[in-house]
Amino acid sequence: MEKNIVYPFSAIVGQVRMKLALILNIINPHISGVLIRGEKGTAKSTAVRALADILPMIDAVNGCPFQLLPGDEEGVCRDCGNTGCSERVIAGKPEEVIRRKVRVVELPVGATEDRVVGTMDLEHALKKGEKRFEPGILAAAHRGILYVDEINLLDDHVVDVLLDSAAMGINTVEREGVSFTHPARFTLVGTMNPEEGELRPQLLDRFGLCVGIEGIRNSSERVDVMERRIAFEDNPGGFCLKWEEESGKTAACIGAAISLYPQVKIERDKLFGIAKRCVEAGVDGHRADIITLKTARALAAWNGRSEVTDEDIDIAVELALPHRMRRLPFEEIGEPGRGTRVGV
Amino acid sequence: MESSENRLSVKGYSYPFSAIVGQEEMKLALVLNAIEPRISGALIRGEKGTAKSTAVRALRGLLRDIEVVTGCPYSCDPDDNARLCPDCTEMIRSGRHPGIAYRRVPLINLPLNVTEEMVTGGLDMEVALSKGRRRFQPGLLAGANRGILYIDEVNLLDDHIVDIILDAASSGVNVIEREGLSSCHPSCFILTGTMNPEEGDLRPQLLDRFGLCVEVAGERDVERRVELMEMREVYDNNPGEFLSLYRRKDRQVSARIIRARRTIGEVVFPEYLPGFVSELCLQNNVAGHRADIVIKYAARALAAFECRTEVTAGDIRRVAGMALLHRRRDALPPPPATGNPERKENDTDDKKGNGGREEDNPGNRSENSNMDEKDEPDNMAEEFRTGRPETEEPADAPEDRGTPEEVFEPGSTFKVQGFKQENDRLLRRGSGRRSRTRTAEKTGRYVKSILSNRYPDIAVDATIRAAAPYQGQRKKQDGMAVSIRRDDIRRKVREKRIGNFLIFLVDASGSMGVRARMTATKGAILSLLMDAYQKRDRIAMVTFRRKEAVVNLPPTSSVELAVRHLREMPVGGRTPLADGLVKGFKLLKVHLLKEPSARPIAIIITDGRANVSSGSGAAPQDEALVTAEKMAYEERIKFVVVDTEEPGIMRFGFAAGLAAALGAEYFCTEDLKAGDLVDIVRRRL
Repeated sequence: MEKNIVYPFSAIVGQVRMKLALILNIINPHISGVLIRGEKGTAKSTAVRALADILPMIDAVNGCPFQLLPGDEEGVCRDCGNTGCSERVIAGKPEEVIRRKVRVVELPVGATEDRVVGTMDLEHALKKGEKRFEPGILAAAHRGILYVDEINLLDDHVVDVLLDSAAMGINTVEREGVSFTHPARFTLVGTMNPEEGELRPQLLDRFGLCVGIEGIRNSSERVDVMERRIAFEDNPGGFCLKWEEESGKTAACIGAAISLYPQVKIERDKLFGIAKRCVEAGVDGHRADIITLKTARALAAWNGRSEVTDEDIDIAVELALPHRMRRLPFEEIGEPGRGTRVGV
Repeated sequence: MESSENRLSVKGYSYPFSAIVGQEEMKLALVLNAIEPRISGALIRGEKGTAKSTAVRALRGLLRDIEVVTGCPYSCDPDDNARLCPDCTEMIRSGRHPGIAYRRVPLINLPLNVTEEMVTGGLDMEVALSKGRRRFQPGLLAGANRGILYIDEVNLLDDHIVDIILDAASSGVNVIEREGLSSCHPSCFILTGTMNPEEGDLRPQLLDRFGLCVEVAGERDVERRVELMEMREVYDNNPGEFLSLYRRKDRQVSARIIRARRTIGEVVFPEYLPGFVSELCLQNNVAGHRADIVIKYAARALAAFECRTEVTAGDIRRVAGMALLHRRRDALPPPPATGNPERKENDTDDKKGNGGREEDNPGNRSENSNMDEKDEPDNMAEEFRTGRPETEEPADAPEDRGTPEEVFEPGSTFKVQGFKQENDRLLRRGSGRRSRTRTAEKTGRYVKSILSNRYPDIAVDATIRAAAPYQGQRKKQDGMAVSIRRDDIRRKVREKRIGNFLIFLVDASGSMGVRARMTATKGAILSLLMDAYQKRDRIAMVTFRRKEAVVNLPPTSSVELAVRHLREMPVGGRTPLADGLVKGFKLLKVHLLKEPSARPIAIIITDGRANVSSGSGAAPQDEALVTAEKMAYEERIKFVVVDTEEPGIMRFGFAAGLAAALGAEYFCTEDLKAGDLVDIVRRRL
């Protein structure tokens, strides 16, 4: 079967903010995700799927269902159902390391709970009479990106499960006779169309950043969109080849930003600025402060600076605060409410 | 990504307890529980991102390793013969000496999607299959013995799981009678839960079971927030150094806890204090005696923690807040300070703004409608002037210019009391949170299994467990370890909460504009919508005014959209009540055709004074009642009538008549508030 060719990331016209939010999340996965809110047909899903194009490489244990970092056993290897792994651990042999791209794992809206968290391996139980854990989507998403399209339509009980692992980075399974805990730290990327209903506040807060996007109003850019789309549909391979260089550049920049990130410094009085803004915006809890700080640092790294500027903080605030501001009961996200305007 | 990955992989470490900035009350509640387990747990309620979960996880780092019988899955205490599991009892009775091992205090994290047999323990499938013996496999309640049972988002946990845990928590014993097993074992644990009240509240029964309850909120002090950010950055960038620094501090706290545990027996509880405690409880109208007991234990633990040998009134005051917060009963909804931050903000806004608002809008009485006595005659006069509904507006007034049209802002909101359809055994589809139902699709949460082969949703684990003990006698097929017969097959029982379909029929006629009654009414509708939002209902809205009714909002699950419509809804004109009922009924019928098992709720908000007929020639009021009686035949729809007529001596009671015709539940705007439940019950008697 021919591999699905995805539309190249850098060929997406406009939507700068969405692209920036996604890139910042790649630079620092601690930002913990982005929620993309927007009308239909605004390249939301295309952008997320296209991420595969620019994602960095990571080291992982070969054949490990949890994409574990080599040397990072976390206690799961011994109980892991993967025969090769458990034999290896018992024999005390070093793991085989492969280098591969960060993965984008998609969680379909109709996913059942047992597929999301993992369940008992049916075949193994019937054939061998032994219990074995069969990892689910959360396991596959560890160290990668978990993408949920139309996240506001997700079943409530699946959302509960997501909340748990998104917060703690651990998936605990205690059901259907299996008891298993494994790491599940992922960058949660969700897209939604607010017309179809809002997200629960608790889930909303789990997204580090939030961007609202709308269709492009500039007619020449709209023409660009049409032309590129048609070119892509006519000859996907050729189109991607044309954009390969551009994507390569973006990927290289991301790589540079990742290595620069640890050196990025921030002055103490700038921290006060962040805290003050968060208090003024009336956010719940402290996640906003922490995320804003991380976002500002990632921005500085992305721009090749090792010092956070006020401008970085301004942009970070715009990305990290809108969905966390206390809203009047049904005020829409991003709509400035009474006294909750962020001084941007 | 490499560097960040390294930072992520801090194996098995949790954020240290003493590195949590602020939140002193929460930390104290946890420490007191660690000193005196009889306080029976702590519930932490609060907004998102306030280190709730972090603190509970960090608590384990403060507790010293416990002495256990080697290999015992229940972590039995070798020195405590009264609380031993069956195996250890057997061992001691037969005169063998149990080996002693040290174990970290167990911390069991109960995931929300846990299934029943994992909590209680069940048949050990592997042993049953290989040896043909029924052996009990300990569940989470066994693992939690002498440790901490932690439930994150405890308000989202399924009710029947909650019941099982409550049972064990109160008796300290877990009794198993299932899958042909009969067993019991000790299960004493510190029950800790965290929750965000925005997602809905806990049942009072479970609420009471938590010894202490603390409310947490984010720091508002900028200095502290900066400190917090800096700590977090250091932790993320260089966990090793950070941890070694705070581990030392943690050890100091830990040493204090250990000392306090030793000395708590010597702490004196002066004679004059019990009276003070019971007075406090009485003042706060607490139910039952658990509060008194918890306060006593907690105060002693506090005194011991602070190296004193006598409990003081100050200790009592410090712990009483935590013990009474969730048990207090007064005019407020069960747990005080509950609900959305938005709501709180609104409420305070209200209090501040009340004086001012009264002036520029004299009719906008908050829905408390604590009408001053001197307002009464004025109001009555108005009612008289409006007189009989037919004459409310001059019949010949030209619709377009004669009746003023106004748009009122919604009034303040409140927490509404719940109404829902009764549970039944029907299977239906849908999603939401209002009513719980068994579902037919394979989508709900798998809660337990039953004997049946009618549905394709097989509970494999339960089926294998059912077949396991008989494997010795059965012939097996090639390559299969298990032979399953038809009568072994178990089906999954799934349950989920489905949202209801709510339809709002709103009277937007001129009479609703009188004395800005619409403001209060809109406030009430907004509250109902907020409730609908929390329960993920689908909603539709029909308004009726002037000559006919209009479907403003076709069925949708976007509450935001409904609110926008509500804000923009103009008021004015006459009241075509019958037409409103008919239009609403049609929508409901269509919905019922699509989903015959649905149980929609129609909420009719009106003062009931119909004055436009839809052409049948009958008097408008009679026509409305006749329509209502016809509608009442549809038993699948539940009707609720909210009467917006202002209370007073002069009431027409048309809405009450309408409610009677519909067989509907009847509320006045002001009784929708959850706190007034007692009143409603009284009125119904």
